[in-house]
Amino acid sequence: MDLGKLNETAIAAAKRLGVDDAVALSAKGGDSMIRFANNSVSVVSRVEEAELTVYLAKERRRAIASTSNLEASAVKKFVGDLFGSIKGLPEAEYVPLPGKAAKYSPSRLGHDKKLETLDEELPDLAKTAIESAKAAGGKRSAGVINAGKGTVAILTTAGVEGSDSRTAITLNIRSFTENEASGHGLSCSSSLAGFDPEEAGRRAGEGAKRMKGASEPEAGKYKVLLSPTVASNLIETVAAATSAFSIDAGTSYLADRLSKDVAAKSFDLTDHGVVEGGLGGRVFDDEGVKTASNEIIKGGVLRSYLHNLTTAEKWRTKSTGNAGFVSPHPWNLEVGSGDSSYDEMVKEMKQGIILTSNWYTRFKNYRTGEFSTVPRDGAFLVEGGRVTKSLKGMRAGDDLKRMFSSVEMLSKKREWIQWWEVDTPTLCPWMIIDGVTITRAYG
Amino acid sequence: MAREATKDLAEAAVSKARSAGASYAEARVQSTWERQFVLKNGESQPSYFSEGFGIGIRVISRGALGFAATNDMKRTSVIELAGKAVRLARASAGVLTKPVELDDSKPSRRKWAPPETRKVENADSAWLRGVLLEIEGRIAGGKAGVKLPGRLLYLGAELEERYYVNSDGARVEGRLPRVGFFGSLTAMEGGDTAQRFIQQGETGGLEVVKRIGLVDRVEDEARVMGKVLRASAKPPTGTIDVVLSPELSGIAAHESVGHPQEADRVLGREGAQAGESYLKSDSLGMKIGSAEANVSDDPNLLHSNGFVPVDDEGVEGKKRLLIKGGIINEFLQNRTTAKEFGLKSNGAARSVSFDREPIIRMSNTFVEPGDYQTDELMKEVKHGIFFKTFTEWNIDDKRLNQRYVALEAYLIEQGELKGLVRSPVLEITTPKLWGSVKGRSKHMEFESATCGKGDPMQGAPVWTGGPETLLAGIRLGSR
Repeated sequence: MDLGKLNETAIAAAKRLGVDDAVALSAKGGDSMIRFANNSVSVVSRVEEAELTVYLAKERRRAIASTSNLEASAVKKFVGDLFGSIKGLPEAEYVPLPGKAAKYSPSRLGHDKKLETLDEELPDLAKTAIESAKAAGGKRSAGVINAGKGTVAILTTAGVEGSDSRTAITLNIRSFTENEASGHGLSCSSSLAGFDPEEAGRRAGEGAKRMKGASEPEAGKYKVLLSPTVASNLIETVAAATSAFSIDAGTSYLADRLSKDVAAKSFDLTDHGVVEGGLGGRVFDDEGVKTASNEIIKGGVLRSYLHNLTTAEKWRTKSTGNAGFVSPHPWNLEVGSGDSSYDEMVKEMKQGIILTSNWYTRFKNYRTGEFSTVPRDGAFLVEGGRVTKSLKGMRAGDDLKRMFSSVEMLSKKREWIQWWEVDTPTLCPWMIIDGVTITRAYG
Repeated sequence: MAREATKDLAEAAVSKARSAGASYAEARVQSTWERQFVLKNGESQPSYFSEGFGIGIRVISRGALGFAATNDMKRTSVIELAGKAVRLARASAGVLTKPVELDDSKPSRRKWAPPETRKVENADSAWLRGVLLEIEGRIAGGKAGVKLPGRLLYLGAELEERYYVNSDGARVEGRLPRVGFFGSLTAMEGGDTAQRFIQQGETGGLEVVKRIGLVDRVEDEARVMGKVLRASAKPPTGTIDVVLSPELSGIAAHESVGHPQEADRVLGREGAQAGESYLKSDSLGMKIGSAEANVSDDPNLLHSNGFVPVDDEGVEGKKRLLIKGGIINEFLQNRTTAKEFGLKSNGAARSVSFDREPIIRMSNTFVEPGDYQTDELMKEVKHGIFFKTFTEWNIDDKRLNQRYVALEAYLIEQGELKGLVRSPVLEITTPKLWGSVKGRSKHMEFESATCGKGDPMQGAPVWTGGPETLLAGIRLGSR
């Protein structure tokens, strides 16, 4: 599928209809996957897809549509239908797209040719992870390896054009020993060389082994040491709250907080369009604006919301290159590192709980940032600066503002995280947070 | 692509896979069509529509399962991909310790579609926007008795069409129209805020909006938010009774009965993602609740959001009695898990798109109705709380430890509903919850929801529901 030609067909059709401006954004991807459970493969798959998304505007009326029917005649009809869909609509928020022609070259970052067609090799990689988990004490393992390449190409009526590609390979593995003893491991990389199924398997197996004989903690306020996996899950909700669309919609705890303290002084959060090691993103956003590295939180102060052209005009600022035609969103998140090692952090926290994985983060109120999340896999009690026992059956609750204002320590070492519970690739350290509420179920 | 050509392509994919060495093959050509409109604080967002069309091919070769999908519908591409699915399955045999086998469920051969008065294809931007403006007119500017500075209203009409064929003889053609609403309302008063997420939807045509009284329902929800903000009473402490509304009964049924009774979770297949289950393969017949605990899943409920009369393995969907008289009675099964249990599939395999593998899913999960009138049930409570709606909720991945935070909740004293209480929290184990069921009303209601499972993620439309359910002797938390 030639994405450039596809875009040309769509934009030519849009121009013939007399639109004020239009964007054709076409994407294609080839993704291979192997899933396993109980140390045995469950399914292997290969999905090859392409899609065209078109945005157009006429007299302050806007419409967006996507299609997977990419025959030239179908694309022309599709654009015509899209144009027809704005008839009868009133004028609405509208900001013209960049009026100058520009050409984007693909970034050389985050692209490994070896990952483009990897599929029949996946079983061996899965076997490596499973065997490593077994050797570390995991009796049985379940997991998934995803590998593939995605390419996006853009063309606008003003002549903004370009394409960019990313490759990624990720492994998510859980190992189990006794009924409730489990450990978790991840390996996320944009290159095959950076992928380490053995280490992820070892972590999962070792975590499961250490979880044997876990007990429930007393409910109360605790200092917690969050792994990059847990922290990334919560950071993603912070980043979502910086989308100017969320601010407008009343679903952000960061409304009215620009230039104010929203986190501890040691806490920095940056979004990168493209970055070394990043598994996502591209050099242009959906509106044809160049993506960038944007400081969202610096020294604990909220520096910027994420904007597209429409939200930027409303906030009298410039687009940050994070469109989303409707809602701005992050590409690759980076949390600043500290200077401590994991061992130093355990020793320093003295009393507290280590959480290595979590799921099911849900909000009572996005406007206040109140939420709870459910820890799973490795969780450990720290007493006197050392791990004394494993824990299970708990829930952690807080509000995001209080929580990230209570960050006390960050590790020097960081990891890229992307898995079932973290969509946006995030480079994240371990972090100690004080005063998190831990509860247990009744019964 | 013409309908007959689509069928021919699916048949050709199955033939190719079989000739390439697959012991079993299936192909599903699936199209999706969607129109949606969004109002944010009364402002029209860009209108949106999408069209998807492609084929998913699943095979078993040397005991391993392979899946491949594409939207490149050229015959040569599809045939090549069918061969690829077989090669991939075969290449994974080195990591296979337990071959995949299928039960001998009777293959379905029929067309199906729910009733539809005004076809969903008639939905255009102007109609969708018109409905949302009617809602906006009832709740904006304090008209519902409370300021709502955050109003995100979404309305969508969608259509899924599929043609399914497998090498065991199934030939199924389905049409699934649906209309769905989602609203995020943020109310503010005196520096305090409350938030409610409203999801409503049914299968059917554009008549759904009136049938479910959508506009009135959203207005009612908004009015309640003002009352919630003005309530200051804390929930009682100590041991009390709790009455769950249909909404709370439904979410509890979905989270702590439906999910742990998905046979693939029981067998460990979702271990790395949604998790496993507190139940094991020998748990059928185990007591988990009181005799009043009765929970079912039924894919054949008319108008339901989870209407799936024939599943995506070509098996007729059957009502599943998950908990019967407090006993674990039945799991949700597909053909693979049923074979392992020595049973027949009950038709629970669903896929949300051509590029997703069919996996075990709930359809419409609910607490069965009881004998009480609602007011009679309330009269059984001397001191308690009525949980009417909830906001935050979650559950652990074995489905034993769940939490529901109420938005609208009332004190019950001597059988009478009293004032609102703020944010009571029900954080309770699954055996304690279902073991505490003392009675159920006759009154049934259903909520629409989107259930997440699978990797890649598949958001499946479902209903959750039930009657008012009385839980005796519960201890609450609070936020």
